[in-house]
Amino acid sequence: MVKFSNKIWTALRHLFERVLIAFWRRAAPVKTPPPTYSTALADNLQMHMNLVMPLADQTPVGRAQAAQAIAANIDELFSGLSNVGTVHFARFDLIGGNLCMYSVFDGDFRAYIRDFICVFGSVFDSLLGLVADPPPSPSALHPEAFIDWIHRHDSFQIPRDLTALFPEEKNLKNLSRDLVLLLDANPNVQLGRFSGYPGVSVAQIRHGAGLGW
Amino acid sequence: MSARGSLDFADLQGNILRGYGKQYVRHLVLTVANPAAARRWLADASSGDESATPQITTAEPWTERRRTCVNIGITHPGLAALGVSPSSLNSFPHEFVAGMAARNVLLGDTGPSDPSKWKEEWRGEGPHLMISVYADDAADREATAARILAARGAFQLRAALEGEGFAGGLVHFGYRDSISQPQFYGVHDPDDRRDDQPFVEVGAMLLGHATPIENLRWEVPQPNVLGHNGSFNAFRVLEQQVAGFEEFLTACADALMNNPLSETLLPPGAEAGWDPPMDRRAALREMVAAKMLGRWRNGVPLALSPTSPSPQPRIDDAGLNNYGYAHDPDGQRCPIGSHMRRSNPRDAKTVQRNTNHARRLVRRGIPYGPHYDPANPVKAERGLLGSFMCASLTGQFEAIQYDWTNLGLQDPRITGSNDPILGNNDPLFSRFSFPVGDNAITFRGFSHFIHTRGGAYLFQPSMSAIRHLASLSGGKTARTR
Repeated sequence: MVKFSNKIWTALRHLFERVLIAFWRRAAPVKTPPPTYSTALADNLQMHMNLVMPLADQTPVGRAQAAQAIAANIDELFSGLSNVGTVHFARFDLIGGNLCMYSVFDGDFRAYIRDFICVFGSVFDSLLGLVADPPPSPSALHPEAFIDWIHRHDSFQIPRDLTALFPEEKNLKNLSRDLVLLLDANPNVQLGRFSGYPGVSVAQIRHGAGLGW
Repeated sequence: MSARGSLDFADLQGNILRGYGKQYVRHLVLTVANPAAARRWLADASSGDESATPQITTAEPWTERRRTCVNIGITHPGLAALGVSPSSLNSFPHEFVAGMAARNVLLGDTGPSDPSKWKEEWRGEGPHLMISVYADDAADREATAARILAARGAFQLRAALEGEGFAGGLVHFGYRDSISQPQFYGVHDPDDRRDDQPFVEVGAMLLGHATPIENLRWEVPQPNVLGHNGSFNAFRVLEQQVAGFEEFLTACADALMNNPLSETLLPPGAEAGWDPPMDRRAALREMVAAKMLGRWRNGVPLALSPTSPSPQPRIDDAGLNNYGYAHDPDGQRCPIGSHMRRSNPRDAKTVQRNTNHARRLVRRGIPYGPHYDPANPVKAERGLLGSFMCASLTGQFEAIQYDWTNLGLQDPRITGSNDPILGNNDPLFSRFSFPVGDNAITFRGFSHFIHTRGGAYLFQPSMSAIRHLASLSGGKTARTR
């Protein structure tokens, strides 16, 4: 009996939250901040991209197709990433019904994706055939639309200072509400990141280690 | 590659693919006061009837030299003011929509260059359009600008920026400028090449054409008649701290006089053979100036002449651009961090392997303010009115400014250092280093020599687009400032 009433209470609470969020969305909408730039060098190196792309077919069959497509193109993808030149790490994952590409790169996000289109856009275009709501194809003829699409599927990165997210917010009491609305609009977020060697580019690491760049 | 002859030069604004070489420029920085009147001016200015108003100059070859030329650029708010629909406005690239001021951190416009410190005409929503008048003499410039401003009620003048070329193509800081410009397939003659750099596809400047990046084309803002054959212009008012720059050169020369490496950098006595001969200290000043830019102040590139501004045999004008960096991988001749090599690495190895010739810009600059005479220094604002033209502001102008100028991402040996001339340098962190044999000379603690005082991202529409704009209705009346 107690368990049952707890369930009802939880369901009611969730319902209330949904109504409240819908009300907040209308009354005090929160805009997802655009990517920021910094004058500090360390803030412009080792940037993260956490690309989460829902698959069109999220069944085991669809996921297997995605795994096969990545395996079939992995050499081209890796040589392309090498040619971009600014990539520290990249990996492809299947998480639930999502095809994910996580990478760490140096410099501007848009420049990274543009270089990415140049060196292996055609391979990526073929992979995007498996994704729900893909961007216009081929990416080389729609570079800005492709970059915008990638940006929309990149996990929103929450900075260390939450208040920096809402510079227009005058009332600190509203910050929690703003954060709820931000997460409502952005289901995938990155909460923090650590680097063991901040402020160093991949080319500097390769150069220092004698690996060529 | 655009086939030769496939471009409709009569549809292109004339200042994009070639320069006019005019001595005088006046940029009229304007707001649309009355959309209908402004559109009437656009119609008149593209009608071919010179008696109605000065005509916008196209890229058609001249049969005789024109005394004056006129071109226009329009900001995103300016397009809205002229009646461009919201859906069309949204089809423009996001950085153009945001405007130059909103991209300030990426561009390095912080501190004294922060948009909050820009001149009044660039603040707030900024101007709507800029009409540029180029002339061989000041009277022609004056008369043409006056005729444009006589367009009844069309525009509100926010500012008139005047530039005047110095003798010998020099700019403040004393360098000879505008030596290197891209040459385009379909425009320039491949049999008359000035250098070994690859010809560039016109899609690097004009929307709707093949670009230097294989298979890639920049999206054309819609409708097609508005976007096709258009181009973007990052227009910047760059104030130059000439006295500070010259003092820095003196301080560096003083330091080098006591540095044994200077004997390797410039063999003692070599300066006596320069034309004109110099004393050792003055020669070392010139050497530092050359290392910072990548050329001697007279335009001779370090890549061709690393120890003398007056090599023998003499390098003629055609040869000033005929060099690369592939044979100078460590920057022994031309420092990797020099302004010119950063901005255009030519054939040098770069971290971003597909970018060497993919970020070319057309640069049109003219000095403003009085010439600086160190013997009789006059305190006045002086600098450069610079237009940096391209088909993609993010793919070219911003990529150079952010990746290469500000971050030095193209080579691990300069990553983390800023452009020594153009960069927003902080004395706490600034450094400029160049190799001398197996050692290196490094200068630290210098500030920025250039402050941005204003600027805007402008769209340079084709003649068809100008007529299309003239045919619109609606639009916004300017807000009172």
